Amino acid sequence: MKMWVYITRRILLIIPVIIGVMTITFGLVSLLPIQDKLISHYGRTKVGYAQNVLCTSLGIQQPGTCPNPAYYNGVHQLGLDQPIFVQWAHYIWNSLTLNWGTTDTGSYASQQLGFSGSLHITTVLGYLLPYTLELAAISLFIILALAIPLGNYSAVYRNRPIDQAARVMSFSGFALPGFLLGTLLLLGVTAAMGHVTACGAKSDAFDYWYGSWAPSFCFPGSKYPSFIGSYYQTTPTGFPTLDSALAGDWSLAADSLRRMLLPAFVIAFGAIAAILRFVRNSMLEVMNLDFVRTARSKGVPERSVVARHAGRNSLNVTITVLGLTFAGFVGGFPIIESVFHLRGIGLLLAYSIQPNYDYGLIFGATLLFTLIVVIANIVVDVLYAYLDPRVRLG
Amino acid sequence: MAATTKPAIAAVLEKKRPNPRIAQMRRTLYFLSRNVLAILGIGILIFLIGVAVYGIAFDPESATAMQYYCGTYTGVGSSSSGSVIGCTSVCTYPIGTPPPAPNCYPTDAYNPSLVAPTIDLAHLHGGPLPLGSLTVQLAGSSFFSIYQGFVKGAEWSLLISTSIVAAGATIGLVLGSVAGYKGGYTDEVIMRVTDIFLSIPGLLLVLVILAVVSGSFPTLWGRILILIGGFTVTWWPIYTRIVRGQVLVTREQKYVEASRAAGAKTGRILSRHIIPNSMYPVFVQMSLDVGAIPLAVAAIIFLGFQIFPSVNFPEWGTMAAQSVPAISSVLIQCQINSSCYFPWWQLLFPGLIVFLFAISVNFVSDGLRDALDPRLRR
Repeated sequence: MKMWVYITRRILLIIPVIIGVMTITFGLVSLLPIQDKLISHYGRTKVGYAQNVLCTSLGIQQPGTCPNPAYYNGVHQLGLDQPIFVQWAHYIWNSLTLNWGTTDTGSYASQQLGFSGSLHITTVLGYLLPYTLELAAISLFIILALAIPLGNYSAVYRNRPIDQAARVMSFSGFALPGFLLGTLLLLGVTAAMGHVTACGAKSDAFDYWYGSWAPSFCFPGSKYPSFIGSYYQTTPTGFPTLDSALAGDWSLAADSLRRMLLPAFVIAFGAIAAILRFVRNSMLEVMNLDFVRTARSKGVPERSVVARHAGRNSLNVTITVLGLTFAGFVGGFPIIESVFHLRGIGLLLAYSIQPNYDYGLIFGATLLFTLIVVIANIVVDVLYAYLDPRVRLG
Repeated sequence: MAATTKPAIAAVLEKKRPNPRIAQMRRTLYFLSRNVLAILGIGILIFLIGVAVYGIAFDPESATAMQYYCGTYTGVGSSSSGSVIGCTSVCTYPIGTPPPAPNCYPTDAYNPSLVAPTIDLAHLHGGPLPLGSLTVQLAGSSFFSIYQGFVKGAEWSLLISTSIVAAGATIGLVLGSVAGYKGGYTDEVIMRVTDIFLSIPGLLLVLVILAVVSGSFPTLWGRILILIGGFTVTWWPIYTRIVRGQVLVTREQKYVEASRAAGAKTGRILSRHIIPNSMYPVFVQMSLDVGAIPLAVAAIIFLGFQIFPSVNFPEWGTMAAQSVPAISSVLIQCQINSSCYFPWWQLLFPGLIVFLFAISVNFVSDGLRDALDPRLRR
């Protein structure tokens, strides 16, 4: 099979998965009380959406409660009185055509992120996605840069101190919750650096590592540079670090990168725990294979045997494991982003599950995270097929 | 006469050739006992289970009642600079009811000599000893003893994590063995559904389920039930995948074929031959997951999601999660003021409990994996 045929086939195969995921979220949405659905569509500021209200509040001079026309109109307009299959089809169609609804102006998330009025959820997600992707890219880099060499070393020096150290690191990665490690690192950095001014004005080390951008007082005239928009979305690409670099503002780019360093490390630390062991075990298996013995017996230097013969062949497993753990790794973003107050989809999700739920944002963010995982899995599969031709030939 | 000799003969035969499954278990235990870390993990786990048993059997108060102290938490300056406003009585309140007005004297159930009216903030903040240390709640005006939370939380944490893992493993075992054994369309459908569930990040699915359903379950047991249900929904696909993979190997074995040739029905083959011989990887995964669940609960609580009806709930993850924001706020104050009162034990002890539980479970499961896999035995 040619590579492009394989890729096309793989992409076509995810359509049922995506529809399945949307069906699950639809099932959850349909568990919501109708009142909540109306609120998340029409917003909190409008009239109440209780099914029955006091008659006097509707202008009917009569004791007791009467059916609320706002409720029934809303139910009719949203098609909630139609059969469940029709609702499902509507839901899938709207999800596929990126019609994900609008944010709730009264929700905690809207207030915290300073949305003026009701925005389209896809717009909000579009503003915040690049922040999350940048963080993911940096942590992925840290994972690969640490897990593969460490795993190889601990296989080569099996049961020696470096192997034991890697073991302990792996165990603590499993056992230390991300929020605890993040807070401890913040504490450590604060203790080590003491009072550090972020930009000449009075600030402190804690603030220095906190948030996606330097506080506004760091900029002359309390104004952010022109390439940062009203919701901190940046032009032209939307990726904050990249855009600051493109605009020639190197200090801002460095600042943004530095703020992502600790969170990326915390995310990576949890993921390395799982990947390290797999790399070690697959390396141990490969090291016992015949071609490694052949390479050794024909006098290839040991370093080259480890790096070229064994290392490259154990890479397949690494990539598979990376794909398998990606969902867990992405699931950690809400916590890490709220520990470090980084802007991103995770923080958005963390804000939208606060007492004034914003169901639109909750479902939007979940769907987006799932899409990221699905796409990452395709990339992993394609990479795997590229590295191991047996996959696409078989 | 014959009635007495027959069991004796059977016993001798049993002794001579033990059941291969039991022999396997003995081998596993032998290799496990040679792994120092696994023994350490088992020791810690036995201690924690002992704590839970102690809490159930000997703790005078019920698991849903916490001693609750009021005080004003300033966190800045010397320890005695704060003042206690409106503290009039010692209070214990059951979980599941809203917290009472903050009018409780700072007293200590384990040190009755320190009972009010000596209002002493130094004592309220606790000290470096775990038995006397208090942890702060989110509002910053109420405290409970970390020791008490540790003892009472043991029951809740162990209950929640074991029931989630048991439920997930049961579902996974049934679906995975059916998918692996039947093959064809059954396999295809079950595995595609599993793929769909696996592609939603687990923690997010739990969050969404809790956000949607929690409004309809206001009681304590209702909340614990949806917590268990929500985690089970995210946890079963992993087990299904593991079991299916294992069953695909097991079903090709000769003894399965022999059983089928002897005319055994599908149910019997699955329950007597395939499932018992596919269980070991499931045990490893189960032992791994038991430790991960308090961490996941802690993560959800940390995000500000109130699972339990009361803020003041004795669950290990909850304690650890709630201590973090309080400590962070003190940290900010410590940055601004050069001298500050920093209650490090409020972060250390709850965090240590969760960490110890998770890491001991990991030691055990790693030891199990090594003992079960001949290639990894040292």
